[in-house]
Amino acid sequence: MASVSFDKLSKNYGTSQVVDGIDLDIADGEFLVLVGPSGSGKSTVLRMLAGLEAVTSGEIRIGGQRVNHLQPRQRDIAMVFQDYALYPHKTVRENLGFGLKVRGIPGDEAQRRIIDAADMLGIAQLLDRRPGQLSGGQRQRVAMGRAIVRRPQVFLFDEPLSNLDAKLRGQVRTEIKRLHQALGTTIIYVTHDQVEAMTLADRIVILRGGAIEQVGTPDQIYNTPANIFVGGFIGAPAMNFLPARIAGHVAHAADGLSFDLSQLGAIPQGDVVLGMRPEHIRAGSGAGIDFSGIVQVVEPLGADTLVHIGIGDATVTARLEPTQKPKPGQRVQLNIAPGHIHVFDAVTERAML
Amino acid sequence: MTAPHNPRFAWLTDPGDRGLAIMLLAPLALLVTLIVVYPVLRLFYTSLFDHSLTSGLPPRFVGLQNFGLMLDDPTFWTTLKNTLLITLVTVPGALIMGLAMALMANMPFKYHWPVRLSLLIPWALPLAFAGLIFAWFFHSEYGVVNDILRRFGFQPVIWFNSPGWSMTAICLTVIWKTSSFMALILLAGLQTIPRSLYEAADVDGAGKLRQFWEITLPLLRPAIAVALIFRTITALQTFDIPYTMTAGGPGGSTATLAMYIHQNTVSFLDLGYGSALAVVMFLLSMLVTVLYLRMIRARG
Repeated sequence: MASVSFDKLSKNYGTSQVVDGIDLDIADGEFLVLVGPSGSGKSTVLRMLAGLEAVTSGEIRIGGQRVNHLQPRQRDIAMVFQDYALYPHKTVRENLGFGLKVRGIPGDEAQRRIIDAADMLGIAQLLDRRPGQLSGGQRQRVAMGRAIVRRPQVFLFDEPLSNLDAKLRGQVRTEIKRLHQALGTTIIYVTHDQVEAMTLADRIVILRGGAIEQVGTPDQIYNTPANIFVGGFIGAPAMNFLPARIAGHVAHAADGLSFDLSQLGAIPQGDVVLGMRPEHIRAGSGAGIDFSGIVQVVEPLGADTLVHIGIGDATVTARLEPTQKPKPGQRVQLNIAPGHIHVFDAVTERAML
Repeated sequence: MTAPHNPRFAWLTDPGDRGLAIMLLAPLALLVTLIVVYPVLRLFYTSLFDHSLTSGLPPRFVGLQNFGLMLDDPTFWTTLKNTLLITLVTVPGALIMGLAMALMANMPFKYHWPVRLSLLIPWALPLAFAGLIFAWFFHSEYGVVNDILRRFGFQPVIWFNSPGWSMTAICLTVIWKTSSFMALILLAGLQTIPRSLYEAADVDGAGKLRQFWEITLPLLRPAIAVALIFRTITALQTFDIPYTMTAGGPGGSTATLAMYIHQNTVSFLDLGYGSALAVVMFLLSMLVTVLYLRMIRARG
């Protein structure tokens, strides 16, 4: 087990900058998730850490040791690939044992580790099959097993669940979390799926355009997004954004809609963007800030109901109780607690409150 | 509307899966019948006759007599031996050279086209041209090969005077000419191996040589088998290069079975015996194909 740190890590392909000066310290045993849209550089960061991509500038350290110049095999890391990268002509046992054989781990020790990992992952009955005879979920487990048997300092996961169907993805996600709790090894995990990021991570790093937008625990990222991008990226359905101008303690949004922000502490002034999460909007008028709009679309999900509400030119999505069944065209009264309103600078897009 | 309906031809007007399949395959089946099945059957048929155009006599059915003659024909045995020797030397030779070329061509060059082009050129060159070019390369006085030997202080070799050196020159030429075909098939095979397997092996700790033995070679096996089948069959039919380089000399020592067939049918107009020789070559090719296919299937 080891800590990992990036110091002004950058990567260029020709003139295009893919990773732009990333500074990050990952603690020993931490589960860190790199999340971002495609092209954000998250996979490149992981591949540089693995040694599969050269570092353009900056430094990578594993366990305090600079590894920029080391080959992948010298870095004592194990990686789970998006397409699993299982050796198709080898059995599951040979796939699991390949890294051990290459590293000269004696046969009986290797066999013990293979059995242990197979038991842990529930693939003991598959050891003599080839990858072609396995389902997607089983292949995924073998890929994880191949990493586990190595007992590396750091596990790297590159979008490991993206080839699984939704149900299986949930199961394997839980297993990965259980695995981390059992092994305690540092994990660095790349995904574009914010649900995976929220559920798995000790800390989330949100990347965009090769740079870090925010680093924090899932709680911090969710409750205090650093900017509009983070606010919109984490949470489903996405945060609602309303352009507004604050004068005094009132935020005036389009179409005469106004929010009385006097319950907030220090109120910024000028052009802002208000952010409201769908799950924080309630039906009816209450102790919070009241507003109303016309129902456009209703999407019942069973556990709750998504209601898309037109407010002037803007559309706001609210996640309401399943008992709420407003009709399209109907005017609904809504409210939100002042503490749940996020205020972002309209120009810099950074959070002001 | 009711149209006259003949149930026998129902599949033509209302093609189900089976009818459609037959209709789609029919043109190809017809073509193969015309240019492969019929000539082969005709070959077998002719081989059973004493049919010489020089004798002026009509073809006479002789059963397997032509095959009996073959057993006592020393030229048949020499040309068969030469053919098998060329096959045994040039097929593995071209496989190794082709594999090396394919591995090089598969490396991440900045510009791929010069590499691919240099692979294609020997392949695109007609066999007879290659033979003529290499006949000059191996020319005892003006050839580039002897020139190089002299520069490095070796005795020049009079290539086409001795059976051994003639055969060596022919084999080298055949290997040069056919390696690129091997390389093209193997390159296509190499490109189907996902890069992530090599990355996984990198992370697992395997070096490049180990990756070659543990990943590249096993996953290349189907491509190798295909390349071997094609190359072996064409090697058994080797004609152009020895024909243009040595014309079978010195003293018939480099003549191949294909050249002997050509001599009997085209020069001597002995269609019966020539056909019988061709039947032997056909059966040899079939045998090789069946063996390779069995090997592939056995390794699954």
